Amino acid sequence: MVFEKVCNILSEQFGVDAGSLNMDTAFIEDLGADSLDVVELMMSIEEEFDVGEISEEEAAGMKTIGDLVRRIGDDD
Amino acid sequence: MKLIIDAMSGDNAPEAIVSGCVMAAREFGQEYILVGKEDTIRGLLEKEKAADLPISVYNADDVIDMHDDPATAVRRKKDASMSVALRLLRDGEGDAMISAGNTGALLSGATLVVKRVKGIRRAALPPMLPCKSGHVLLVDAGANTECTPEYLLQFAYMGSFYMEKVMGVKSPRVGLVNNGSEDTKGDPLRKEAYQLLKEAGDAGRINFVGNVEGSDVPKGACDVAVTDGFTGNVMLKTVEGVASFLMGEIKNLFLTNTRTKLAYLLVKPAMGGLKKLLSTSEVGGAPFLGISRPVFKAHGSSDARAIRSAVKQAMDFVNADVVGEIERNIDHMTL
Repeated sequence: MVFEKVCNILSEQFGVDAGSLNMDTAFIEDLGADSLDVVELMMSIEEEFDVGEISEEEAAGMKTIGDLVRRIGDDD
Repeated sequence: MKLIIDAMSGDNAPEAIVSGCVMAAREFGQEYILVGKEDTIRGLLEKEKAADLPISVYNADDVIDMHDDPATAVRRKKDASMSVALRLLRDGEGDAMISAGNTGALLSGATLVVKRVKGIRRAALPPMLPCKSGHVLLVDAGANTECTPEYLLQFAYMGSFYMEKVMGVKSPRVGLVNNGSEDTKGDPLRKEAYQLLKEAGDAGRINFVGNVEGSDVPKGACDVAVTDGFTGNVMLKTVEGVASFLMGEIKNLFLTNTRTKLAYLLVKPAMGGLKKLLSTSEVGGAPFLGISRPVFKAHGSSDARAIRSAVKQAMDFVNADVVGEIERNIDHMTL
């Protein structure tokens, strides 16, 4: 469920097909995200899930959808 | 109409911002919210004898400066005048927001707080450059250094809407800045973008006139010059530098001897017109095209007159409903 929601957010933000995403999809390497994209993604995640504020250090450590899903899973 | 103005950002803030707002209020009417240190702004309004004008003040204690990281500034400094002003716009407290502050922070803030129009991949910052036919819109001029062909397609549409709706140019000519005018010129980005723009042109949605070289742009070859932000920024700075250099050289020429000084008196009115054409104060600002509500970037070195011009442009932008036009056409603008 968390994975699907994250994929929908990414699909909308990056204009990619949600079905093409998997747990190993990397934000920078695979989706071409830049620093603003990463901040935008974290803000969307904070709005969608009850995870509190994701710090810049934490965000920098999350490279893939799997990393993000696990972070949300810890709190959600 | 209500305009939200970031009073604390810019080289000459808050004095020039407040003064420009007062100038605009006297000339154009409308309502204004000045965002920033309340005591300071109220003091300046008092000096301007602006008590009778429809200008309110919204307190914000912090300021985003040129040293703040653009991507995170608005998130880190939630009480900064720029952040507060953007939230006021998002919450519907005004119709447009104007700031002369850190360009990158304003772009990030507009994207993160106000959000892009759904389907728009990147907002663009398009300044107007003087050219032989009047002005040309350069889109993008620095907001997006790395672009995809789809970004350039969206820049072309948004620039075309802006020139038609705000500047009154009928069927604006859209050119793709390239290293040659032939169809086959350019790197992979330009070649792919060319095909997308050509398809949009063939469908009658934009008036695509093909590739244009850097030297064609000041000659008035197009009304909208489409390019990535890196190239656009180099073009913009080059044009500004050349204009400044030429004006200096012309001035030196007239100061050579008594005869040339007398000649200057004869051409002085025309020189005024040329100076006005090249002045950033006359243009004032540029909108972030693609943001879901109007956000205007005034030149960092804006004086009061430039702020007044930015207010006028923001009003025209709101009245022309460029955001609505982008929303209505978004299906054609996405791949």
